Amino acid sequence: MTMIDEEVLTRALHDAADRVDVSEDAVKHILAEAQVDPATRSRRVREYFAERPRGRTVLVAAACLVVVGAIALPLLRSEVVGRPRPTPASTAAPAPPLGTVGLSVSPNGVAPNGTAISTPASGKSLHATSSTAPAIATSQKIESTGTVNLTVHRNGVAGAITKLTELATSDGGFVDSTEARVGTQTLSSFANATVVLQVPQRRFTSLVGQVQLLGRATRIITSSSNVTGQYVNLQARISELEVSLAQYERIMARATTIGGILAVQAQIDALQSQIEQYQGALKVLGNETTFGALTVNIAQPHLHVVPLRRRTGFDKAWHDSVSGFVAGFEWLVRLAGPTLFAVLLLAALWLLGRYSRRALLRRRM
Amino acid sequence: MSDLEASLADGYRQSVRTAYLILGNRLDAEDAVQEAFLRAWKFRDSLQKQSSLRPWLYRVVVNTCYSKLRHETPRRERQCEFEGLDDQVLSDPSSRVALSHDVLDALRDLPADLRVVVVLRYYADLSERDIALAIGRKPGTVKSRLHEARRRLAQHRSLRTEASGELTREVVTG
Repeated sequence: MTMIDEEVLTRALHDAADRVDVSEDAVKHILAEAQVDPATRSRRVREYFAERPRGRTVLVAAACLVVVGAIALPLLRSEVVGRPRPTPASTAAPAPPLGTVGLSVSPNGVAPNGTAISTPASGKSLHATSSTAPAIATSQKIESTGTVNLTVHRNGVAGAITKLTELATSDGGFVDSTEARVGTQTLSSFANATVVLQVPQRRFTSLVGQVQLLGRATRIITSSSNVTGQYVNLQARISELEVSLAQYERIMARATTIGGILAVQAQIDALQSQIEQYQGALKVLGNETTFGALTVNIAQPHLHVVPLRRRTGFDKAWHDSVSGFVAGFEWLVRLAGPTLFAVLLLAALWLLGRYSRRALLRRRM
Repeated sequence: MSDLEASLADGYRQSVRTAYLILGNRLDAEDAVQEAFLRAWKFRDSLQKQSSLRPWLYRVVVNTCYSKLRHETPRRERQCEFEGLDDQVLSDPSSRVALSHDVLDALRDLPADLRVVVVLRYYADLSERDIALAIGRKPGTVKSRLHEARRRLAQHRSLRTEASGELTREVVTG
């Protein structure tokens, strides 16, 4: 390898440098300037003593923060996604107005997500596009019922029942009935349940929305009917019967013969029976309009049961070795994420420290 | 007069010439050394060992030169011409002045990192260890840069026209 001769280089550099005239007085001026009071220094010298802007340091620190943030945020987000969902009340979509079906319906009767929606032929169910439904007066009596078929993930039936119970009881409602079935058929297992929830009327539509979040809704039926007329009619009949009863009681007070007394008593008994009957009906209607009933059918996909086969010999050894290899590989993959994050974090910190140290040394110079 | 003052006064001339070889311009060199000396005076408390005064002072000068090269690159490129060469002398290619001119020409084309170690080693006569202290790198890095710089200088167009036997020599490696 050809290289320049050191002696030639040294001599050439000395020759070149020695031709530069240097004033010896300059250093005296520099030292004199350096020793004077900072306030009286010349402007140019003051510039040398002034603190240099720390823009570069701030830039490096910001870059490190961006790198750490870019690494940490996706990890944190994946952590949050991996956690169980928050309570449905906090994540529920805005509840549709009372009297509307909770999903939009396409012209062919299929929801955008493929969920089939059946709407009863009777006039009780309202149209899906009734966004202009009239506001319900406090005096009106609305009766709401509904059915939701849910498909939950594997082993999710029990959890869904628990969450439905929480939903119903969180705002004055209750679980009317629960029926769960778990078993095994030929080559498959099954688990399903039916839960009837009673919730205050004002919470009915929001409950339908929250229930859908617990799994995949395969069928939703809701219906609402205005029974205010029926309610008022019953109240009016009871009032009339009570007036009649009062008149018969006055007649009874004036009756003197046994035949007359028995005849009036028979009328009073009949009236009282009718009043009680109407009062019972009124009470039932009041309950139905106070609480909305939602029946939730929960099911999980049929799980195929693989019959256990006892492995022996080479088959067992091979199976164990493959399982061990896969388990080890899974462990490595699980470990790789946090390790990579830690390595990148340490690298960023090391770079920051290295730069800070150099900046500090440079400032001391 | 303190030790530092004396060292600054004694080393001013060589510092200016060192900066001149690094920057390629006398005015820039004087400016850099003035700034370096002011900074050295300001941070004189950080100097604890008297034995390391020389490399420490060169470190300040080199850092200031680096700073000037970084912040004033356009002006430096415009003025980096190694002034002071006489045309009459340049007309004689066999003279020492002409040779030094060619070396300076080759030195100007070196990257700053290589130029600094060449100047500190062959003009300021610092050891590789002191150069390492002055530029804040390891001695191995200094040795590597010196090697690379000498190789590049030998291959430079202005030196290849000279009698290769005088300027260069074969080095057996490995």
